[in-house]
Amino acid sequence: MAGTDPIHQFVIEDMIPIHLGGDGTAGSGLNFSFTNSSLFMALTVVAISTFVLLASSKRAMVPSRLQLSGELLYEFVANMLRSSAGTEGMKFFPFVFSLFTFVLFANLFGMIPYFFTVTSHIIVTVALAVLVMAVVIGYGFFRHGFKFLKLFVPAGVPGYVLPIVVPIEIISFLSRPVSLSVRLFGNILAGHITLKVFAGFVVSLGTLGALGWLGALLPLIMTVAITALEFLVAAVQAYVFAVLTSMYLNDAVHPSH
Amino acid sequence: MVKPQDTKGEGPSSGEVTRDLASRIASAQRSRTIEANRASGDGPADKTSLARGMRIGTEFMAAIVIGGILGYLIDLGLNTSPWGLLIMFMMGFAAGILNVTRAVAEMNAASPPPPASKGPDAEDDKRNEH
Repeated sequence: MAGTDPIHQFVIEDMIPIHLGGDGTAGSGLNFSFTNSSLFMALTVVAISTFVLLASSKRAMVPSRLQLSGELLYEFVANMLRSSAGTEGMKFFPFVFSLFTFVLFANLFGMIPYFFTVTSHIIVTVALAVLVMAVVIGYGFFRHGFKFLKLFVPAGVPGYVLPIVVPIEIISFLSRPVSLSVRLFGNILAGHITLKVFAGFVVSLGTLGALGWLGALLPLIMTVAITALEFLVAAVQAYVFAVLTSMYLNDAVHPSH
Repeated sequence: MVKPQDTKGEGPSSGEVTRDLASRIASAQRSRTIEANRASGDGPADKTSLARGMRIGTEFMAAIVIGGILGYLIDLGLNTSPWGLLIMFMMGFAAGILNVTRAVAEMNAASPPPPASKGPDAEDDKRNEH
Protein backbone atom coordinates (compact mmCIF):
# COMPACT_ATOMS: atom_id res chain seq x y z
CA MET A 1 0.00 0.00 0.00
CA ALA A 2 2.44 2.64 -1.18
CA GLY A 3 -0.43 5.09 -1.69
CA THR A 4 -1.32 5.32 1.98
CA ASP A 5 2.13 4.89 3.51
CA PRO A 6 2.14 7.84 5.94
CA ILE A 7 5.87 8.49 5.85
CA HIS A 8 6.46 8.02 2.14
CA GLN A 9 5.89 11.77 1.73
CA PHE A 10 9.18 12.50 3.53
CA VAL A 11 11.43 10.45 1.25
CA ILE A 12 14.26 12.47 -0.27
CA GLU A 13 14.90 11.66 -3.91
CA ASP A 14 17.81 12.76 -6.05
CA MET A 15 16.63 14.86 -8.96
CA ILE A 16 20.07 15.75 -10.34
CA PRO A 17 22.61 13.32 -8.84
CA ILE A 18 25.98 14.96 -8.11
CA HIS A 19 28.40 12.64 -6.31
CA LEU A 20 31.99 13.68 -5.61
CA GLY A 21 34.70 11.18 -4.73
CA GLY A 22 33.94 7.82 -3.15
CA ASP A 23 34.31 4.38 -4.64
CA GLY A 24 30.77 3.96 -5.92
CA THR A 25 29.37 2.14 -2.87
CA ALA A 26 26.42 3.68 -1.09
CA GLY A 27 27.33 6.34 1.46
CA SER A 28 30.91 6.92 0.29
CA GLY A 29 32.16 10.24 -1.01
CA LEU A 30 30.30 13.54 -0.93
CA ASN A 31 26.72 13.85 -2.08
CA PHE A 32 25.81 17.25 -3.50
CA SER A 33 22.77 15.97 -5.38
CA PHE A 34 19.94 18.36 -6.13
CA THR A 35 17.04 16.68 -4.32
CA ASN A 36 13.33 17.34 -4.02
CA SER A 37 14.17 18.98 -0.69
CA SER A 38 16.59 21.36 -2.41
CA LEU A 39 13.99 22.09 -5.06
CA PHE A 40 11.41 23.17 -2.49
CA MET A 41 13.94 25.21 -0.52
CA ALA A 42 14.78 27.01 -3.76
CA LEU A 43 11.08 27.43 -4.56
CA THR A 44 10.49 28.85 -1.06
CA VAL A 45 13.23 31.43 -1.51
CA VAL A 46 11.99 32.30 -5.01
CA ALA A 47 8.42 32.70 -3.73
CA ILE A 48 9.52 34.96 -0.85
CA SER A 49 11.75 37.07 -3.09
CA THR A 50 9.06 37.44 -5.74
CA PHE A 51 6.46 38.40 -3.14
CA VAL A 52 8.63 40.98 -1.39
CA LEU A 53 10.01 42.45 -4.62
CA LEU A 54 6.56 42.75 -6.20
CA ALA A 55 5.10 44.19 -3.00
CA SER A 56 7.80 46.83 -2.76
CA SER A 57 8.14 47.65 -6.49
CA LYS A 58 5.35 50.28 -6.75
CA ARG A 59 6.07 52.22 -3.54
CA ALA A 60 2.69 53.89 -3.83
CA MET A 61 1.57 56.38 -1.18
CA VAL A 62 -1.82 54.65 -1.16
CA PRO A 63 -0.78 50.99 -1.09
CA SER A 64 -2.32 48.33 -3.26
CA ARG A 65 -3.43 45.08 -1.66
CA LEU A 66 -0.13 43.42 -2.51
CA GLN A 67 1.94 46.28 -1.13
CA LEU A 68 -0.24 46.39 1.98
CA SER A 69 0.28 42.68 2.67
CA GLY A 70 4.03 43.18 2.30
CA GLU A 71 3.93 46.13 4.68
CA LEU A 72 1.88 44.12 7.17
CA LEU A 73 4.47 41.34 7.10
CA TYR A 74 7.25 43.87 7.65
CA GLU A 75 5.43 45.61 10.52
CA PHE A 76 4.60 42.28 12.13
CA VAL A 77 8.21 41.08 12.26
CA ALA A 78 9.52 44.54 13.17
CA ASN A 79 7.14 44.90 16.13
CA MET A 80 7.93 41.40 17.33
CA LEU A 81 11.68 41.99 17.21
CA ARG A 82 11.45 45.47 18.76
CA SER A 83 9.32 44.27 21.66
CA SER A 84 11.65 41.41 22.57
CA ALA A 85 15.14 42.69 21.68
CA GLY A 86 14.68 46.47 21.86
CA THR A 87 15.66 49.08 19.29
CA GLU A 88 19.26 47.86 19.35
CA GLY A 89 18.08 44.44 18.26
CA MET A 90 16.61 45.94 15.08
CA LYS A 91 19.96 45.49 13.33
CA PHE A 92 19.05 41.80 13.21
CA PHE A 93 15.82 42.56 11.40
CA PRO A 94 16.94 41.15 8.01
CA PHE A 95 18.04 37.94 9.74
CA VAL A 96 14.82 37.44 11.71
CA PHE A 97 12.66 38.45 8.74
CA SER A 98 14.42 35.92 6.49
CA LEU A 99 14.08 33.16 9.08
CA PHE A 100 10.40 33.90 9.72
CA THR A 101 9.40 34.09 6.07
CA PHE A 102 11.46 31.01 5.17
CA VAL A 103 9.87 28.86 7.88
CA LEU A 104 6.40 30.27 7.19
CA PHE A 105 6.56 29.77 3.43
CA ALA A 106 8.16 26.32 3.76
CA ASN A 107 5.42 25.24 6.19
CA LEU A 108 2.67 26.61 3.98
CA PHE A 109 4.21 25.06 0.86
CA GLY A 110 4.03 21.75 2.69
CA MET A 111 0.26 22.13 2.97
CA ILE A 112 -0.16 21.99 -0.82
CA PRO A 113 -0.85 18.38 -1.94
CA TYR A 114 2.12 16.56 -3.51
CA PHE A 115 4.52 19.21 -2.26
CA PHE A 116 7.52 18.31 -0.15
CA THR A 117 7.73 19.81 3.35
CA VAL A 118 11.23 21.10 3.92
CA THR A 119 10.81 21.72 7.66
CA SER A 120 9.72 18.12 8.31
CA HIS A 121 13.39 17.09 8.20
CA ILE A 122 15.26 17.69 11.43
CA ILE A 123 18.52 18.45 9.62
CA VAL A 124 16.92 21.57 8.11
CA THR A 125 15.53 22.86 11.40
CA VAL A 126 18.77 22.05 13.24
CA ALA A 127 20.70 24.01 10.61
CA LEU A 128 18.40 27.01 11.19
CA ALA A 129 18.66 26.73 14.99
CA VAL A 130 22.46 26.35 14.93
CA LEU A 131 22.65 29.41 12.68
CA VAL A 132 20.65 31.37 15.26
CA MET A 133 22.90 30.21 18.10
CA ALA A 134 26.04 30.98 16.07
CA VAL A 135 24.78 34.52 15.49
CA VAL A 136 23.91 34.93 19.20
CA ILE A 137 27.31 33.68 20.41
CA GLY A 138 29.26 35.44 17.68
CA TYR A 139 27.58 38.81 18.17
CA GLY A 140 27.62 38.42 21.97
CA PHE A 141 31.40 37.99 22.04
CA PHE A 142 31.93 40.64 19.35
CA ARG A 143 29.82 43.21 21.18
CA HIS A 144 30.63 42.46 24.84
CA GLY A 145 33.85 40.43 24.74
CA PHE A 146 34.19 38.14 27.74
CA LYS A 147 31.47 40.04 29.58
CA PHE A 148 29.12 37.97 27.43
CA LEU A 149 29.89 35.06 29.76
CA LYS A 150 27.96 36.96 32.46
CA LEU A 151 24.97 35.38 30.75
CA PHE A 152 25.80 32.22 32.68
CA VAL A 153 26.15 33.97 36.05
CA PRO A 154 22.79 35.26 37.27
CA ALA A 155 23.01 38.48 39.22
CA GLY A 156 22.61 38.32 43.01
CA VAL A 157 23.60 34.68 43.45
CA PRO A 158 25.98 33.97 46.38
CA GLY A 159 29.40 32.63 45.39
CA TYR A 160 29.13 29.21 47.01
CA VAL A 161 26.20 28.11 44.81
CA LEU A 162 27.88 29.23 41.59
CA PRO A 163 29.52 25.81 40.94
CA ILE A 164 26.01 24.36 40.71
CA VAL A 165 24.22 27.27 39.04
CA VAL A 166 26.74 27.91 36.25
CA PRO A 167 26.65 24.36 34.77
CA ILE A 168 22.85 24.43 34.94
CA GLU A 169 22.80 27.75 33.10
CA ILE A 170 25.22 26.40 30.49
CA ILE A 171 23.09 23.30 29.92
CA SER A 172 20.02 25.52 29.73
CA PHE A 173 21.75 27.65 27.08
CA LEU A 174 22.93 24.63 25.10
CA SER A 175 19.45 23.11 25.16
CA ARG A 176 18.01 26.10 23.29
CA PRO A 177 18.95 25.05 19.75
CA VAL A 178 17.71 21.53 20.52
CA SER A 179 14.29 22.64 21.73
CA LEU A 180 14.06 25.27 18.97
CA SER A 181 14.68 22.76 16.18
CA VAL A 182 12.87 19.75 17.70
CA ARG A 183 9.72 21.79 18.28
CA LEU A 184 9.42 22.95 14.67
CA PHE A 185 10.37 19.57 13.21
CA GLY A 186 8.13 17.63 15.61
CA ASN A 187 5.05 19.75 15.00
CA ILE A 188 5.33 19.61 11.23
CA LEU A 189 6.25 15.91 11.06
CA ALA A 190 3.51 14.81 13.48
CA GLY A 191 0.90 16.95 11.77
CA HIS A 192 1.68 15.63 8.30
CA ILE A 193 1.71 12.01 9.45
CA THR A 194 -1.63 12.43 11.27
CA LEU A 195 -3.13 14.03 8.20
CA LYS A 196 -1.92 11.22 5.97
CA VAL A 197 -3.09 8.47 8.34
CA PHE A 198 -6.61 9.90 8.54
CA ALA A 199 -6.72 10.41 4.78
CA GLY A 200 -5.58 6.79 4.40
CA PHE A 201 -8.53 5.63 6.53
CA VAL A 202 -10.89 7.25 4.05
CA VAL A 203 -9.38 5.23 1.19
CA SER A 204 -9.27 1.89 3.02
CA LEU A 205 -12.82 2.24 4.39
CA GLY A 206 -14.07 3.35 1.00
CA THR A 207 -13.20 -0.06 -0.50
CA LEU A 208 -15.56 -1.87 1.92
CA GLY A 209 -18.82 -1.06 0.13
CA ALA A 210 -21.82 0.94 1.32
CA LEU A 211 -21.19 0.58 5.05
CA GLY A 212 -17.56 1.52 4.50
CA TRP A 213 -18.61 4.64 2.64
CA LEU A 214 -20.67 5.65 5.65
CA GLY A 215 -17.78 4.93 8.00
CA ALA A 216 -15.35 6.81 5.75
CA LEU A 217 -17.31 9.96 6.41
CA LEU A 218 -15.86 10.27 9.93
CA PRO A 219 -12.15 10.27 8.97
CA LEU A 220 -13.02 12.55 6.05
CA ILE A 221 -14.43 15.13 8.47
CA MET A 222 -11.34 14.66 10.65
CA THR A 223 -9.09 15.20 7.63
CA VAL A 224 -10.78 18.50 6.84
CA ALA A 225 -10.51 19.60 10.48
CA ILE A 226 -6.86 18.57 10.78
CA THR A 227 -6.02 20.37 7.53
CA ALA A 228 -7.36 23.58 9.07
CA LEU A 229 -5.40 22.87 12.27
CA GLU A 230 -2.24 22.26 10.25
CA PHE A 231 -2.53 25.68 8.61
CA LEU A 232 -2.72 27.17 12.10
CA VAL A 233 0.27 25.11 13.27
CA ALA A 234 2.27 26.13 10.19
CA ALA A 235 1.79 29.82 10.98
CA VAL A 236 2.13 29.50 14.77
CA GLN A 237 5.35 27.49 14.58
CA ALA A 238 6.95 29.99 12.21
CA TYR A 239 5.90 32.71 14.65
CA VAL A 240 7.22 30.84 17.71
CA PHE A 241 10.52 30.20 15.93
CA ALA A 242 10.91 33.90 15.13
CA VAL A 243 9.86 35.06 18.62
CA LEU A 244 12.33 32.75 20.34
CA THR A 245 15.04 33.83 17.89
CA SER A 246 14.47 37.46 18.86
CA MET A 247 14.50 36.54 22.57
CA TYR A 248 17.84 34.77 22.16
CA LEU A 249 19.17 37.74 20.19
CA ASN A 250 18.08 39.89 23.13
CA ASP A 251 20.50 37.84 25.28
CA ALA A 252 23.27 38.65 22.83
CA VAL A 253 22.46 42.37 22.91
CA HIS A 254 21.87 42.62 26.67
CA PRO A 255 23.68 39.64 28.29
CA SER A 256 22.94 40.42 31.94
CA HIS A 257 19.50 39.35 33.07
CA MET B 1 -19.89 55.62 4.22
CA VAL B 2 -20.14 59.34 3.36
CA LYS B 3 -17.85 60.48 0.60
CA PRO B 4 -16.00 63.68 1.53
CA GLN B 5 -16.69 65.47 -1.78
CA ASP B 6 -20.46 65.07 -1.28
CA THR B 7 -20.49 67.31 1.77
CA LYS B 8 -18.10 69.86 0.31
CA GLY B 9 -19.65 73.32 -0.16
CA GLU B 10 -23.38 72.68 0.21
CA GLY B 11 -25.37 71.13 3.06
CA PRO B 12 -24.34 71.96 6.63
CA SER B 13 -21.64 74.55 7.17
CA SER B 14 -18.10 73.37 6.49
CA GLY B 15 -17.03 74.03 10.10
CA GLU B 16 -19.62 71.58 11.35
CA VAL B 17 -18.43 68.97 8.84
CA THR B 18 -14.82 69.41 9.97
CA ARG B 19 -15.83 69.02 13.60
CA ASP B 20 -17.82 65.91 12.72
CA LEU B 21 -14.83 64.51 10.83
CA ALA B 22 -12.50 65.32 13.74
CA SER B 23 -14.73 63.50 16.21
CA ARG B 24 -14.95 60.52 13.88
CA ILE B 25 -11.16 60.41 13.52
CA ALA B 26 -10.79 60.65 17.30
CA SER B 27 -13.20 57.79 17.93
CA ALA B 28 -11.49 55.66 15.28
CA GLN B 29 -8.11 56.33 16.88
CA ARG B 30 -9.48 55.46 20.30
CA SER B 31 -10.84 52.13 19.12
CA ARG B 32 -7.55 51.46 17.37
CA THR B 33 -5.44 52.01 20.48
CA ILE B 34 -7.79 49.76 22.46
CA GLU B 35 -7.35 47.13 19.78
CA ALA B 36 -3.57 47.54 19.80
CA ASN B 37 -3.39 47.26 23.58
CA ARG B 38 -5.48 44.15 23.57
CA ALA B 39 -3.36 42.60 20.84
CA SER B 40 -0.14 43.27 22.74
CA GLY B 41 -1.71 42.07 25.99
CA ASP B 42 -2.68 38.77 24.45
CA GLY B 43 0.89 37.59 24.78
CA PRO B 44 3.01 37.35 21.67
CA ALA B 45 4.81 34.11 22.37
CA ASP B 46 2.02 31.56 22.34
CA LYS B 47 -1.28 31.90 20.57
CA THR B 48 -2.59 28.42 21.13
CA SER B 49 -2.50 26.11 24.12
CA LEU B 50 -1.10 23.41 21.83
CA ALA B 51 1.92 25.56 21.04
CA ARG B 52 2.28 26.37 24.74
CA GLY B 53 2.31 22.71 25.70
CA MET B 54 4.78 21.82 22.95
CA ARG B 55 7.03 24.64 24.08
CA ILE B 56 7.15 23.49 27.70
CA GLY B 57 7.62 19.86 26.73
CA THR B 58 10.50 20.46 24.34
CA GLU B 59 12.22 22.91 26.72
CA PHE B 60 12.21 20.27 29.45
CA MET B 61 13.27 17.37 27.22
CA ALA B 62 16.03 19.26 25.42
CA ALA B 63 17.82 20.19 28.66
CA ILE B 64 17.84 16.56 29.89
CA VAL B 65 19.11 15.29 26.54
CA ILE B 66 21.86 17.91 26.42
CA GLY B 67 22.84 17.18 30.02
CA GLY B 68 23.06 13.45 29.30
CA ILE B 69 25.14 13.98 26.15
CA LEU B 70 27.52 16.35 27.96
CA GLY B 71 27.95 13.85 30.80
CA TYR B 72 28.62 11.03 28.37
CA LEU B 73 31.23 13.13 26.54
CA ILE B 74 32.89 14.02 29.86
CA ASP B 75 33.02 10.30 30.72
CA LEU B 76 34.54 9.49 27.33
CA GLY B 77 37.17 12.18 27.71
CA LEU B 78 38.11 11.75 31.38
CA ASN B 79 37.36 8.01 31.86
CA THR B 80 35.16 8.77 34.86
CA SER B 81 32.29 6.50 33.87
CA PRO B 82 29.57 6.54 35.18
CA TRP B 83 29.89 9.65 37.35
CA GLY B 84 29.89 12.27 34.59
CA LEU B 85 26.73 10.88 33.05
CA LEU B 86 24.98 10.57 36.42
CA ILE B 87 25.85 14.06 37.63
CA MET B 88 25.28 15.85 34.34
CA PHE B 89 22.01 13.99 33.85
CA MET B 90 20.78 15.41 37.17
CA MET B 91 22.13 18.84 36.17
CA GLY B 92 20.21 18.54 32.91
CA PHE B 93 17.11 17.76 34.92
CA ALA B 94 17.63 20.91 36.97
CA ALA B 95 18.25 22.93 33.80
CA GLY B 96 15.02 21.52 32.36
CA ILE B 97 13.10 22.75 35.40
CA LEU B 98 14.81 26.12 35.04
CA ASN B 99 13.83 26.27 31.35
CA VAL B 100 10.22 25.44 32.14
CA THR B 101 9.96 28.01 34.94
CA ARG B 102 11.47 30.64 32.63
CA ALA B 103 9.12 29.76 29.77
CA VAL B 104 6.09 29.89 32.07
CA ALA B 105 7.26 33.17 33.63
CA GLU B 106 7.54 34.62 30.10
CA MET B 107 4.03 33.43 29.27
CA ASN B 108 2.65 34.90 32.49
CA ALA B 109 4.42 38.20 31.88
CA ALA B 110 3.08 38.28 28.34
CA SER B 111 -0.52 37.88 29.46
CA PRO B 112 -1.00 39.31 32.97
CA PRO B 113 -4.29 38.50 34.72
CA PRO B 114 -6.91 41.26 34.63
CA PRO B 115 -6.41 43.70 37.54
CA ALA B 116 -9.86 42.96 39.02
CA SER B 117 -9.06 39.33 39.75
CA LYS B 118 -6.58 38.68 42.52
CA GLY B 119 -5.58 35.30 41.16
CA PRO B 120 -4.27 32.33 43.11
CA ASP B 121 -1.05 34.13 44.09
CA ALA B 122 -2.78 36.96 45.95
CA GLU B 123 -2.82 35.10 49.23
CA ASP B 124 0.83 34.08 48.90
CA ASP B 125 1.85 37.68 48.33
CA LYS B 126 0.00 38.75 51.46
CA ARG B 127 1.75 36.05 53.46
CA ASN B 128 5.15 37.09 52.13
CA GLU B 129 4.60 40.67 53.22
CA HIS B 130 4.38 39.69 56.89
